[in-house]
Amino acid sequence: MTTLDTTVVVAEPPRVRAPVGRRRVIGALTIVLGLFVMLAFGLGSVAGAHSQFTFTPVNTSSGAPWNLAPLTVLTRWWNLGLGLVTVALGVETWVRRPAGALVRFGVGGVLFFIALLLWACREPGPSPVSSLNFTSVLIGSLSIAMVLIYGSLSGVLCERSGVVNIAIEGQFIGGALAGAMVDSVTNSFWLAALVGILVGALVGWLLALLAVRYLADQIIIGVVLVTLMSSVSSYLNIQVLAPYPNLNVGNQPSNVAIPLLSKIPIVGPVLFNETMFFYVAVLLVALISFGLFRTRWGLRVRSVGEHPKAAESVGINVARVRYSTVMLGGAVAGLGGVAFIAVQGQFQPGITSGLGYIALAAMIFGKWKPSGAVVASILFGVSAYLVDALQNENVPIPTEFMTMFPYLVTIAVVAGLIGRVRPPANDGVPYKRD
Amino acid sequence: MSERPSPSNAPALGDAPEARARLVPRWWARYSSTSPITLTVLALVLGVVIGAFIIMLTSAPVLNSWRHSFHHFGSFAGTLKLTFDTVAAAYRAMVTGSILDPTLFFHSLSTGNGWDQTLTPISETLTYATPLVIASIGVGIAFQTGIFNIGANGQAILGAIAGTAVASMIHLPMFLHLPFTLVAGIIGGAVCGMVPGVLKAYTGAHEVIVTLMFNYVVNAILIYALTSTALQLPGQSNDISRNFDSTATLNPLFGTKSGLRVSYGIFVAAAVVVFAVWFLKRSSLGFDFRITGANPNAARASGINPKTIVLAVFLVSGGLSGLAGIVQAASTTHYIDGGFLVGSAGIGFTAITIALLGRLQPIGIVWGSLLFAALGVGGRAMQAATGIPLDLATIIQSVVVLFVASPVLITEIFRLRSGAESFQLANKGWGS
Repeated sequence: MTTLDTTVVVAEPPRVRAPVGRRRVIGALTIVLGLFVMLAFGLGSVAGAHSQFTFTPVNTSSGAPWNLAPLTVLTRWWNLGLGLVTVALGVETWVRRPAGALVRFGVGGVLFFIALLLWACREPGPSPVSSLNFTSVLIGSLSIAMVLIYGSLSGVLCERSGVVNIAIEGQFIGGALAGAMVDSVTNSFWLAALVGILVGALVGWLLALLAVRYLADQIIIGVVLVTLMSSVSSYLNIQVLAPYPNLNVGNQPSNVAIPLLSKIPIVGPVLFNETMFFYVAVLLVALISFGLFRTRWGLRVRSVGEHPKAAESVGINVARVRYSTVMLGGAVAGLGGVAFIAVQGQFQPGITSGLGYIALAAMIFGKWKPSGAVVASILFGVSAYLVDALQNENVPIPTEFMTMFPYLVTIAVVAGLIGRVRPPANDGVPYKRD
Repeated sequence: MSERPSPSNAPALGDAPEARARLVPRWWARYSSTSPITLTVLALVLGVVIGAFIIMLTSAPVLNSWRHSFHHFGSFAGTLKLTFDTVAAAYRAMVTGSILDPTLFFHSLSTGNGWDQTLTPISETLTYATPLVIASIGVGIAFQTGIFNIGANGQAILGAIAGTAVASMIHLPMFLHLPFTLVAGIIGGAVCGMVPGVLKAYTGAHEVIVTLMFNYVVNAILIYALTSTALQLPGQSNDISRNFDSTATLNPLFGTKSGLRVSYGIFVAAAVVVFAVWFLKRSSLGFDFRITGANPNAARASGINPKTIVLAVFLVSGGLSGLAGIVQAASTTHYIDGGFLVGSAGIGFTAITIALLGRLQPIGIVWGSLLFAALGVGGRAMQAATGIPLDLATIIQSVVVLFVASPVLITEIFRLRSGAESFQLANKGWGS
């Protein structure tokens, strides 16, 4: 096996891509982004149109010591300015090809997002609402991003140990269904979270059983597990939830405001007045990134995913590490399912609508790292929320293109067009002891 | 390892004959060689058994009866009968609803009337199986080359979009229009397949990730095409396409009056099967495909260009998926809407599982498609007759495939003689 691998490497040396050329591409993309902002959002709004952002969340009477007044701006000129800044960033990236090219692209993305919001709520404009609550947009985006964080962390855990987890969506569904039922009966989201964790771990166990022990193909198993969970949930919905509506009342957990910090404008309501699921997600990100990269356990997990044979030769039980890590990953995703249903309320079949696959994309876009997964989750969460929000406000733009966004950027990353990713070397390869 | 040793490491049957003899009857031990057909049948048996347990555990009358029996220490016979009847009624409805209802059959046979009603179940099964056969063969050909095409659904949708555009916006006589429509479907699917193909060949992007992501991109393209382009039915604000011209539809075999939906599409599917058998067994490109799938290094060493193969695989596989999409639209609805092949109506993941069930071979895939179509149609009939949700059929399908994908598990459950190597799909992660 080893000798074979070596010959392959010799026969086809790993492709060396000049990072400099890639930075050019990123620069060009940033310029295109800026031009698009100037043309579509700047010149695309009437000369006298203005937009208003408000910053106090609608439902919070938090009694903040100071509030931000609404911001009213001239849409066309602001968007032209934002676009110009983006173009300038792109030109700078194109010419100087700096190491931080992606960061500049990211800044351009944020400016794009603000310009889009300004354009969407312009007055006179097509949208019936004349102002847009910036803080609410962030809160809504973060509630989706939180679920994606759970899912992508689950993916990071499983795939670092060498098991491809396409079944994140299935674990979401399982966690969401179990969470909705348990919470409806016990009225406790802590118990719901516990059961959701167990259900997610159960799906993870099934994945590990078939993938690690029975050496089945992990991609097929993952796909089928999603189908299985979605049909089970749909079946139970008709057979159990429909006749007993008290099993699906759709409670939502109350927010836990952190004293003082939650009073800060914008940041406070967004980050420090959230449900416990959000704080747990933040905690998990810290724990998992520390665990994976700073502890002995993490080293074992990563070694099993990169080179199981070497790991075994130093006495690591590959199968046991993979089992436990995949079950842990399943548990995290199951908790994500509960977090999702806590945001959504009642369970319906198909309610997760492919969020698990977006989480998978976020994990890949985040380069199989917890920190990257978080950034990608936030990015994808914002875009997913905006699709909903803009559709609800009847903004006449084809939101389909925004729906595609997470998938397209993930494809671009996998293809090496922007950034470059490398999965764990033995991701998805079952390990068979000789 | 913390687990039990896998059967290949386990002591051979002869090591402990007396222990084995107590566990399994001798005739079974003799019979149980692990041929692929045995494994599939056993997987189906397990799926049906698990389905039966799900029916029992979620049926209120059955559960109440059990509770009553336990509380009053009696009437277990009645409870067992109720349980059995509930499960049997569900499965009977499934079979009669997807294949043949004997009562109706004998009625038709004796009176000569009502043949339409008698033949409806089998006609529906064939109608559902038609696109499944085509798409699964496309997926199967890719799998044989060692390429995982998870994007069959997206390719089918794009094929259907292209085909619908030709079928509804161009007007031609039938002998031109129908072929053009089908070819447009093939081209649409092939174009969609070329995206992951080109990316894999020239940048090394992993096809599983790209095809998986592209399914969702295509879903969005579908909505866009049906709401913001000329394809939308004029005067509509919903996401629905124009109707096919009558010259571009695959008409029912027995005429529109009979009510049987089975259409000329089955001849398209049959042609695809013949093509696939010829292609894989006789053509030189098919040979290159199989060599690449069996051993990529040997293929490269013998002068086969891997890039060409990747592109060709995605052309063929995507084209067949696209054909499946347009056949689906042209033989049933004659238009497409925003829910076309989306979500649970999708055929892409089903095609993957059927390809696996059929061992990637065209003939096996035909049987697998018929089985899955029968389960789907039967599930509908079961829901109508007994109220048990048709999702039970999908659950059974998933369980069957989980078992088929891990043959070692079946050999352990049924204590078959070791034969795990009879079929195991080449594992394909995205790390390698």
